[in-house]
Amino acid sequence: MYEFDWSSIPGALPFLWEGMKVSLGITACAVLFGIAWGTLLAMARLSSIKPLAWLAAGYVNLFRAIPLVMVLLWFFLIVPQVLRGFFNLDPNTDVRLASALVGFALFEAAYYSEIIRAGIQSVPKGQISAASALGMSYAQAMRLVVLPQAFRNMVPLLLTQAIVLFQDTSLVYVSALADFFGAAYKVGDRDGRLVELLLFAGAVYFLICFAASQAVRHYQKKLNAHAAH
Amino acid sequence: MISIQNVSKHYGAFQVLTDCSTEVKKGEVIVVCGPSGSGKSTLIKCVNGLEPFQSGTITVDGISVGDPKTDLPRLRSRVGMVFQHFELFPHMSITDNLTIAQIKVLGRGRDAATDKGLKLLDRVGLKAHADKFPGQLSGGQQQRVAIARALAMDPICMLFDEPTSALDPEMINEVLDVMVELAQEGMTMMCVTHEMGFAKKVANRILFMDKGQIVEDDAKDAFFGNPRSERARQFLAKILTH
Ligand SMILES: Nc1ncnc2c1ncn2[C@@H]1O[C@H](COP(=O)(O)OP(=O)(O)OP(=O)(O)O)[C@@H](O)[C@H]1O
Ligand SMILES: [Mg+2]
Repeated sequence: MYEFDWSSIPGALPFLWEGMKVSLGITACAVLFGIAWGTLLAMARLSSIKPLAWLAAGYVNLFRAIPLVMVLLWFFLIVPQVLRGFFNLDPNTDVRLASALVGFALFEAAYYSEIIRAGIQSVPKGQISAASALGMSYAQAMRLVVLPQAFRNMVPLLLTQAIVLFQDTSLVYVSALADFFGAAYKVGDRDGRLVELLLFAGAVYFLICFAASQAVRHYQKKLNAHAAH
Repeated sequence: MISIQNVSKHYGAFQVLTDCSTEVKKGEVIVVCGPSGSGKSTLIKCVNGLEPFQSGTITVDGISVGDPKTDLPRLRSRVGMVFQHFELFPHMSITDNLTIAQIKVLGRGRDAATDKGLKLLDRVGLKAHADKFPGQLSGGQQQRVAIARALAMDPICMLFDEPTSALDPEMINEVLDVMVELAQEGMTMMCVTHEMGFAKKVANRILFMDKGQIVEDDAKDAFFGNPRSERARQFLAKILTH
């Protein structure tokens, strides 16, 4: 019978917290970049300029058809080389974090762009007509009229995606980054207490994501009640 | 003011407008009517370039709408348009609805724009609602705000696309009253509407459309007295008994 021994956890908490900060940092960057780049992709996909729409569709379909872990590995192995080549970087500069972030954000942007595209399409066409009829350019109509409404409708979905994204950050451990999961793995490996550490890490992910989903659900209820009145 | 010459438009093989021509002079009020699907909305949306058309010419105040060199946003900012479903911006307060285009399109200062917006809001009888959101107003009130929003741009003419057909009957008159007043002040107006009471009161001419063609373009009295086409006669008989 396996004897649980949790004693290595308290001492490792500061190290684990450092890992959690990396995970949260990656999540925040990827959410911000994913929404920004995803918005551009969504607008390109809905654009009447066909080649632009095709390019965006190709990008989205490509990234949605490849497992995240592969994208991360490629960006771990290839992008640092490319960056070194292009910018003549000092071989000692650690570009792994940047590389993981870029790959991760490019990947997540594909998912965000689909959410945002649906959000843009949920705004009635008449709103663009009304904005145009007032003399707004297409860009103004998008920025002032369509996107604010689209984002308001999308907030719950965007937050839910952020929760998925936070879980996905655990995959950056393949790039040997000390994110929360990677940190837990390291501690467990070092102390021969992998089972305990992985259970602990799982519990922490669960608590954070569960609490966050409850918060989103609560927010959505409020939003629906607001829309109904 | 508005000149429509031999305008045709099709979606693929489907002909929506066929060789439409008419003229709206400064200060004139033109009512456009006709059965559903006859192309009324399409025609009126061609006037400010919201719908492109394949042949013919439309000029507004001497500016050609179909000319690729025309600055369409600029032209549209001078042509007011009111929609069937109001199309107020639901995420903005009534005041912001009235001022946003003045500020962003005309480059007016916020104070001047607010002043102007509130004056027009007062004029349509809704001054007390300035800080509300569109969703908090009734349909009739929203449509009056939409008219005020268009007027805030100091338009040279106004286009209306069935402004009262989405309204409950008891709200129709509050919107028509605003439109009648506007007409009597000399605004150039092109109105798609089936409100024949409104037409009788202020229209100079009535256009009757059927299957993408303007089949009648009569002075008001001639139209109500004795329209030439059988279709228009049937149409009138039907809507006047309602
Ligand atoms: N994007 C489009 N593609 C194809 N056909 C269209 C499109 N928009 C409109 N139509 C068709 O063009 C015709 C004219 O439409 P339009 O909306 O101008 O009619 P209308 O006279 O305003 O009718 P209603 O009284 O119902 O508003 C209709 O038969 C409609 O089905
Ligand atoms: Mg119509």
